[in-house]
Amino acid sequence: MTQDLHHLAAAYALDALEPDERAAFEAHYPTCDICSAEVSDFRETAAVLAADAAVPPPSDLKASVMAEISRTRQLSPRRGDAVELDRVRGRRGRVLRAVAAVAAAVVLVVGTTVITRSDDDRFAPLLEAVDATFVTLEGDAGSIEAVWSDELDQVLVQATSLADPGEGLTYALWSLRDGEASPAGLFAPDADGSLAELLDVDDLDPAAWGVTIEPESGSPQPTGEVLFVGEV
Amino acid sequence: MNDVNPFRRLRAVPEEQVATPESFLAAAALGDERAFGDLYDSLAATVHGVVVRVVRDPAIAQEVTQEVFVELWRLAPRFDPARGSAAGWASTIAHRRAVDRVRSEQARRTREEVDASQRSVPYDEVVEEVEDRADKSLVAASLDALTEHQREAVSLAYYGGHTYKEVAVLLDVPEGTVKTRIRDGLIKLRDQFGVTT
Repeated sequence: MTQDLHHLAAAYALDALEPDERAAFEAHYPTCDICSAEVSDFRETAAVLAADAAVPPPSDLKASVMAEISRTRQLSPRRGDAVELDRVRGRRGRVLRAVAAVAAAVVLVVGTTVITRSDDDRFAPLLEAVDATFVTLEGDAGSIEAVWSDELDQVLVQATSLADPGEGLTYALWSLRDGEASPAGLFAPDADGSLAELLDVDDLDPAAWGVTIEPESGSPQPTGEVLFVGEV
Repeated sequence: MNDVNPFRRLRAVPEEQVATPESFLAAAALGDERAFGDLYDSLAATVHGVVVRVVRDPAIAQEVTQEVFVELWRLAPRFDPARGSAAGWASTIAHRRAVDRVRSEQARRTREEVDASQRSVPYDEVVEEVEDRADKSLVAASLDALTEHQREAVSLAYYGGHTYKEVAVLLDVPEGTVKTRIRDGLIKLRDQFGVTT
């Protein structure tokens, strides 16, 4: 598999991979110096092909673009994730510190195989979103895969064997940034421990995702220990 | 006597202030809408060109180009000049967005068509499409250095917005062959353009 992946940089840079291969390669190349260098080079190469095909858009398009951006919020710059997590850790205590150390090591390496095998049509727009971000949330009790699109304001959480949260309780996903947690939705696994739930979220900008157990009605802020965490 | 002397104008601008898409983008990243307008002016034809090639329908292309620029605005603070040029970044986002638009549209149509009649695309249409795309690719002089096979594969993938598996079907050659042609073609172009990031 990895052997094959190394040869996909060119097709990837031309957006010529099938969705499952694209997801697999996107999970792989940031961890591979050769592939990430190739992706950068081939993208610049493709940019020359783009410039070669240049066609000015209709002249009235600029006005509508400018109107649209004046009411569109920009993302915050990506900061040092270590700093972000340190703040979260300070607040959430030792359990998170240990879990986060594990997460930092495995994020994006584990990949997206569980999710991309899904043939559920409901998830297709999210999995194929241009800004879909795949993160593995790690914890002592296993892992949860999260796919987030800021564009679609949706997060897909998926797992294969997640423990029952307990009577009257539910799992809660939190967007973590600057030591603050914003609620991103509640979810619970099926009786067999499988989980595939699409959460509608509201304008989030996470540096990391965290999962706690909360009362079924939800909580405005996390009250339980952070059981799973993954850097975005 | 010609008043519009481009060299005189150029000299009037101190070198460190020469405006580039990267400098516009850096200002836009801080929320400067006017700088983003300059970025639009410098990249609009590149972005729209690639979108038009892939999407083909002019009305949809215009819509996609607008979406791409709104996306560039949103993502501007995340642009990292160490990882490539502004034009490279913009055309990557534009191509991806255009291709995804076409593929989601295709998926919808295919589902409908299969549901309706189990119809498949007549062979003639496929040949026509290949010839059509191959013709258009000749316009792109930058592909001249490639072999005909490489040019065809790169062009169908990039300008046609096809996956390598689709290209393999269109050209009736094995998938592995298409992958190799795309890879060899891009390596040749990379070296020819002197691209290094």
